[in-house]
Amino acid sequence: MAVPEAAPRKHMGDYDVIVIGGGIIGAMIARQLSKLKGRFALLEKESFGGFGVSKASLSQIHLPDFCPPGTLKGKLVREAPTRFKKLAAELDVLYREVDELWLALDPAQVNNLEAARARAESHGATGFEIISPQRIHELEPQVTPKAVAGLYARGLGVIYTPEWNFALIENAVENGVQLHLQTEVIDIAKTRDGTLRLTTGQGTLTASYVINAAGLYADEIARMAGDAHLQLSLRKGTMLIFDKSVSYAVRHMIFGSFSESHSQNIAPTAHGNLILGVHYVKTDNKTDSRVSREAIQQTLKLGRELVPALSEKDMITSFSGILAQPNMSRDGDFYIAPSENAPGVIHVMVGAPGLSAAPATAEYVVQLLGDAGWRTEEKANFNPRRRGWPRFETASIAKKKQMIGADSKYGHVLCRCEQVTEAEILQSIRRGAHTMDAVKHLTRAGMGRCQGGFCTPFVLKHLADTLGIPPTRVTKSGPGSHQILKITKAVAGNE
Amino acid sequence: MTTIRNLDLAIIGSGPAGLAAAVKAKQLGIKDLVVFERDERPGGILPQCIHNGFGLQKFKEELTGPEYANRYIQMAQAHSVDIELDSTVLEIDPNRNLTAVSEYSGLRNYHCRSIILAMGCRERPRGAIGIPGTRPAGVFTAGQAQRLVNIEGYMPGENIVIQGSGDVGMIMARRLTLEGAKVKAVTEIQPYTSGLIRNEVQCLHDFDIPLMLRHTVAEIHGDKRVEGVTVVEVDTDWNPIDGTEKLIACDTLLLSVGLIPENELSKLAGVSLDPQTGGAYVNEVLETRVPGIFSCGNVLHVNDYVDEVSNQGEIAARGAFYRIKNRMPAREMRISIAGDQTVGQVVPQTISGELPVTFYIRVKRPMQKMALRIGEIFEKKIPYARPSEMIQVRLSKKSFSQMEPSTTRLKVSCED
Repeated sequence: MAVPEAAPRKHMGDYDVIVIGGGIIGAMIARQLSKLKGRFALLEKESFGGFGVSKASLSQIHLPDFCPPGTLKGKLVREAPTRFKKLAAELDVLYREVDELWLALDPAQVNNLEAARARAESHGATGFEIISPQRIHELEPQVTPKAVAGLYARGLGVIYTPEWNFALIENAVENGVQLHLQTEVIDIAKTRDGTLRLTTGQGTLTASYVINAAGLYADEIARMAGDAHLQLSLRKGTMLIFDKSVSYAVRHMIFGSFSESHSQNIAPTAHGNLILGVHYVKTDNKTDSRVSREAIQQTLKLGRELVPALSEKDMITSFSGILAQPNMSRDGDFYIAPSENAPGVIHVMVGAPGLSAAPATAEYVVQLLGDAGWRTEEKANFNPRRRGWPRFETASIAKKKQMIGADSKYGHVLCRCEQVTEAEILQSIRRGAHTMDAVKHLTRAGMGRCQGGFCTPFVLKHLADTLGIPPTRVTKSGPGSHQILKITKAVAGNE
Repeated sequence: MTTIRNLDLAIIGSGPAGLAAAVKAKQLGIKDLVVFERDERPGGILPQCIHNGFGLQKFKEELTGPEYANRYIQMAQAHSVDIELDSTVLEIDPNRNLTAVSEYSGLRNYHCRSIILAMGCRERPRGAIGIPGTRPAGVFTAGQAQRLVNIEGYMPGENIVIQGSGDVGMIMARRLTLEGAKVKAVTEIQPYTSGLIRNEVQCLHDFDIPLMLRHTVAEIHGDKRVEGVTVVEVDTDWNPIDGTEKLIACDTLLLSVGLIPENELSKLAGVSLDPQTGGAYVNEVLETRVPGIFSCGNVLHVNDYVDEVSNQGEIAARGAFYRIKNRMPAREMRISIAGDQTVGQVVPQTISGELPVTFYIRVKRPMQKMALRIGEIFEKKIPYARPSEMIQVRLSKKSFSQMEPSTTRLKVSCED
C-alpha cells in the first residue's frame, strides 16, 4: 500500500517481540507471550482483531484425522480439544463439545475413512471407530440413507472464533501486551545494532523479534523480510448458516467427501445454528468476499447429499472466506519457521486446520524464539483468567433474575431473535467493540433470523452515544463503511 | 419464590392488532388483561408509517400511521388497558404460562386463561434470498430504512436502488425521494408489483421512479460501502437472462422482498403453522389449534390494510371472550376450508358453521373475470384479482344453514 507523504512517523515503542496480525493465531501467540517477562506488541491493520480469515472460519476444533503422518500440523492438532477446553474455562468463552461423524456415501469411499483413522492414529489420537449404517442412523436419524459406513470419534468441539479472538487479546492486553489497532506494517528494516524496525501507517516500532502471523497477508510481510519465495495459494470458500428451527437435523460434525473444490461438512455452531460448507474456488484476490449464486447452490447441494431434509428456505445467511495455504511445505503442512533472510523474524503460515492448531502453535512459536536465542522467562503475576459478560439468552431463569438484579439493563431485550439485551451491547462497546460488526460478532445482536432488521437502529444509537460520536460516524466495519450517510432534512433544519 | 400472576387475557404486541383486541376485550367485559409491547412506545410498526391512507374503513378518513395508532391508544387509555412497554415476552407454553422481562419490572411469570398473539411480521433479510456479491455497509431492509428516516432522522443513503416492490419498499421510494435522495430503480422479479396498485401509482409513477419489472439484483458491489448493483432481466422461471446485466451506481440497496409472520413464540407454545400463510391454523374466531391461544393481524398472515389487522384483533378478542366464558361453539372445528390450486392462501382454515365468518383469500396468480366459490354456499364474480390484493368474503351465520349438516369440508376455488 502506498504511504501518504505526510504520514505521521511518530515512534510507537521498542519491544522484545512484535506479533503482526491480530487474528486467532496472532492473538493466541500474543497471549502466550504475555505469560513471559518482556515487552510485547500486537499489531492489527483493521479496527478490530480477527476480522480477516479468522471470522470466516468454520470455528471447528478438530482431531488430526485430516493431517498426513509426520506433518507438523498433525502434531499441533493432536491435543486440540483438550487445550481448547482448558482455555475456555480460563477465558470464559464458549466451547461446545461435538462428536465427529465422517460418512462414506458409497463403498468406494470406505477406504477414505480407514485412511483418515490411520492418519489420526499416526499422530497418537485414539478412539476412532468405523461404524455401520444402522449405528449412523441411531446417532443421526436425518442423514442420508445412502451412508454405507461412518468414521466416528468423540470429543471434538465448536467455538465462535471472533469471541475467542477478542477474549485472547483482552487477556493478553491485561497481562501487558500493547495492542496497536489500525496499524498496518508497510516496511521491515534491519538497523545497525541488529534490531528490527517496523514502519506502519501510524508510526515506527522496533523489536528484537517479529512474528509474522498476518494470515492472508503473511506473504506480503514475508516479502518485506526478504522472503519473497514464501507464497500463499488462495481458495475462497462459501458457507451457509441455517435457522435454529432446523438444528434438530444435525447433532454431529458431519463430513462427507473432499476435493480441491469442496469440503463437505455440516455441523452445529457454538450458538446452536447449523453451518454448512464448503464450496471452494481458486482466487488471487485477498479481498474477494463476494458470494456467488453458483457457490450458494453448490454448497446447498453438498449439504443435501448428507442431510436431504435441508432446505434453502431455512438458510439465514451466506458468507465467504479465503483459505490461504503456504506453498513451501509438502502434504499441505504448515510453514512455521525462522526467516532465512531476516534473522529475528519468524513466519507463521498455516492453512487448515489452523484454528485447531492455534494453542499448540503459540507454544511452538515461543519454543522457536528460545531456539533463536531469546531467553524466555515466565512471569510470576500472569493472570490466566479473563471474565466475559454473562449472556442473557442462554442463562437459567434464576440466573436471569440475578443478572437483572445486578444490572437492570439486562431486562431490556434489544435483539429479539437472539435475545440480546442492552446491558450486553453496552458492555461490548465499552470493552472495545467500536463497529456494528464488532458488536454483532461479540453479542450476536443482528446474527439471528432477521439479520439485524430490528436491532440495527438501537445498536447504531448506542455506539454513537457511548463513543461520543455523531451517528454518521458509526461504521459497519471500520473507516469507509459508514452505516448512515447524513441526517434528514427535518432534523438538520432543527440543529 | 416465583410469584405467578393470573390473567384472563395476555395480548402480545401493541400494534393495530393487539390494541384493537385489547379495546374490544375490555368492551366485552374482560377486565384482567395486559398488553406486552417490546418497544418504548405502543403502536407497533405504525409510528414509523408517517404516510397517509390508514383508517379509511375503520374511521372513514385518511389517517397517517401515527394518527391511526393514536386513535387506538386513546381508546385503550379510555378503557384503562394496561400496556407494559419495553417488555419482551420470552416464553409462552401450551398451558398458557407466559414469561416476560423488562428493565423496570424484571422477569415476571403469568398464567393466562387466554393469549392473543399479535406480534406482527418481520422482513425477509438479504441472507434469506441469497443476493450474491460483497458485504458492504449500505444494505438495509425497507422497514429498517423507514425507521431510520422517520423515527431516528437518519438518511441511509443518497443514491438508492430498491430490490422488490413490496408496499414498504414503494413507500420508501417516495419517502427517500421527498428527503432529497435519488431512487435510481425499483426492481421486481415478477411481471407485476408485489404491493398494492395504489402504492405503485402514488409512490412510483407519480414521482417518475423507474420500475423495472422482471428484473432482479444479481450482485452487490463495494468493499466498505455499497458502490453499485448489477441488475439483470429474468425469464419466466426467474433465471437471469445472459447479456441483460446492467450496472447501476448507488450507495444504498433497500430490500422489500417479503414479510414473514413472526411466529417464534407461537412455536414455543406448540401452535401449528400453515406453510401457505406462515401463520397459525385458526378457526373463525382466530383460535389456533392450541385452545385458548389466538392469533391475529400480520402474525396470522400478512395483510394489505391496517384496518383489516384491527378487525382481526377484534375477532380474536371475541374468541378469547368465548373461551374465558366457556361459550365457544360446541362443534368448533367441524369444517375444514381448503383452497384448490388456484388459491394461494385462505384464512381461517377451519370453521364451526355456527358463527359468522370473514374469509381472507389470496389468489395464486393474477386472474381476470374470475368466479370465486366457497363450497356450494357462496359464489361471486371478481373482475380482476392478483396475489398482492387480498380478497375478503364475509358470510353470516345464516349462509351456513344451506349446507348439508354432515359437511366436513368446504372447497375454495377461483376460476378464470
